[in-house]
Amino acid sequence: MSLLGIAWRNIRHRPLTSGLTVFSLALGVALVVATLITGAIVRQAFESGSGLGYNMIVGAKGSPLQLVLNSVYYISRPIENISWELYTEFLPADGRSDARAGRFASSVENAVPICMGDYFRGWRVVGTNAAMFDRLRRGAGEPFRFAAGRNFRDEAFFEGVLGAAVAAETGLGVGDSFAPTHGADDGLEHDPFIVAGVLAATDTPVDRGVFVNMEGFFLQEGHAKPIEDESGEAGPEPAGPVDPSAGPVPLPESRREVTAILVETASLPGLPPELTSMGLRNVINEGRDGQAVLPVAEIRQLLDLFVWPLERLLLLLTVLVVIVSAVGILVSMVGSSLERTRDVAIMRALGARRSHVLLTVLLEGILLAGCGGLAGWLLGHLVVGLIGPWIATNAGVSAGVLSAAPGAELLLVPLLVVLAVAAALLPAVAAYRTDVARWLQGPG
Amino acid sequence: MNRPVIELIDVRKSFTLPGGEPVPVLDVGHFAVEPGEQVALEGHSGSGKTTLLNVISGIMRPDAGRVMLDGIDLASLPEPGRDRLRAERLGMVFQQFNLLPAFTAAENVLVAMAFASGRPDRRRAEELLESVGLSHRLGHRPSSLSVGEQQRVAVARALANRPRVILADEPTASVDPAHQQQVIDLIQDTCRRHEVGLVVVTHAPEVASQFPRRLRIESFNRAAVIPTGGGA
Repeated sequence: MSLLGIAWRNIRHRPLTSGLTVFSLALGVALVVATLITGAIVRQAFESGSGLGYNMIVGAKGSPLQLVLNSVYYISRPIENISWELYTEFLPADGRSDARAGRFASSVENAVPICMGDYFRGWRVVGTNAAMFDRLRRGAGEPFRFAAGRNFRDEAFFEGVLGAAVAAETGLGVGDSFAPTHGADDGLEHDPFIVAGVLAATDTPVDRGVFVNMEGFFLQEGHAKPIEDESGEAGPEPAGPVDPSAGPVPLPESRREVTAILVETASLPGLPPELTSMGLRNVINEGRDGQAVLPVAEIRQLLDLFVWPLERLLLLLTVLVVIVSAVGILVSMVGSSLERTRDVAIMRALGARRSHVLLTVLLEGILLAGCGGLAGWLLGHLVVGLIGPWIATNAGVSAGVLSAAPGAELLLVPLLVVLAVAAALLPAVAAYRTDVARWLQGPG
Repeated sequence: MNRPVIELIDVRKSFTLPGGEPVPVLDVGHFAVEPGEQVALEGHSGSGKTTLLNVISGIMRPDAGRVMLDGIDLASLPEPGRDRLRAERLGMVFQQFNLLPAFTAAENVLVAMAFASGRPDRRRAEELLESVGLSHRLGHRPSSLSVGEQQRVAVARALANRPRVILADEPTASVDPAHQQQVIDLIQDTCRRHEVGLVVVTHAPEVASQFPRRLRIESFNRAAVIPTGGGA
């Protein structure tokens, strides 16, 4: 029988005390694991959003952070719409009805409009054009890939593309149709769109988006800008045909608005792209039509101001919980020290060295911590799995049982061992110092 | 002639009172136990028998003299060396049996093996328990064993590491008179079968009388306190 076996047997000899100690520690570790994973998921989600292939967002004046959260992460509410005219200022001559390049066209590589406000079974519906996936790049410059089907075509007004998470969750595939609702899940149901393709997973907010052709989006009830007549009253909605087979008529530009424009600025000769974007941002922000924000800067600020401090605070609290749980190990082991002292004296009389009994008690603490740690680790993942839908709804990131924060979770192992050794040290030293002669002394 | 398994030469041990005054408890000129010999040591309270056992087992270090266990001077060894020698050359049977309550009968024997240099041998542990008539109680914990069965486990445990000699401290003190003879027979027979020496400390004359060699501790411990009134 090894020292480990002796330690394990001692633990099993006190099932209630040992069980409660393990349970208490498991709760603490579960909290730490859940916090670590949630923090890592949120951080990874925000950081991945900073490499979506565009470096500027133009939207209505208001909170820059709200514009980023809405446009990049599909959370929070849109501020307001901006005019179609402002969008066309980013287009080259061949993209405009007047065949003249827009004011900002020379500073722009790509400008993709997005229109928001509709939902499909809780997922955000984004009206856009085919350039969203044909021209923008994701992450480190990779093109968007399709797990099934293809990108929607600009001329097919009622086609759409699903993000990987949406397709997995809804079960929709290429050729299926879906009808977005206006403003909320229980809002007015719009005309159906056909799924042209399903995007491969990107581990970015794009996975959670339902992307439809902006032209079809414009034709839905409540999406056209009201016409104001000379009396200043809003005119009727356009009577545009919505039957795809009949060939819909595009909404006139005068009645169009977009929620935001995703801009990839051009690299001007001799100038780094950062300078282009800074100059363009300043020009736009000096005007009255909208604001331009640099998402990376906003995300960095968001992380620095809120996410990281909050994560650190939560982690500190949960580490304190684990330390309290470790004190539970100490209390448990000190509580059984009288019984242990007798056992230690017997083992010493049988020839156990002081180092043997010291190690046995330390192993007992490490085993308790190990069991509590393992149970807590599993429980932590289970908790993340259970609150995953809540996180997805409120923070816009997907989380499940298998979500992990590998580096931080691995750090838990040495932390637990150190805590266990620290907690078991006092009873271990007491065992080390046990006076065998005194404890075995009989009469005479 | 074989060397003694236990030999004490000019051994002295004193305790210090709270006031700093030393009180001698052991002063032995010479005491030896030959291999396979069975010896009964009788002594009244204060004769120094507990200290004698602690010194022979290496739990205590004498102030002076040599304590030879199987030819090795215990007094010259550091504590870990004495612990190891005790685990490998000496078997201990205690008055209260002192079995470990968390462990089964077989595991109590295995635990003793864990502190010697060899690997714990479950087969041997089971054979030892079978040899004391406990083959049907291998997986039972001390709390579910009778007093007599606990004593048998203690004897089997003492033999775990093939010791040269077994020290038994009042092995019949916790046993009712009807079973005392069984305990003595068990220990004596087992030691004979395993060719192991036996030193039994007892205050019971009827126990001591069954040993071929019977000594009063006062006869060789010059520091023993002689009780007034002449009681034993």
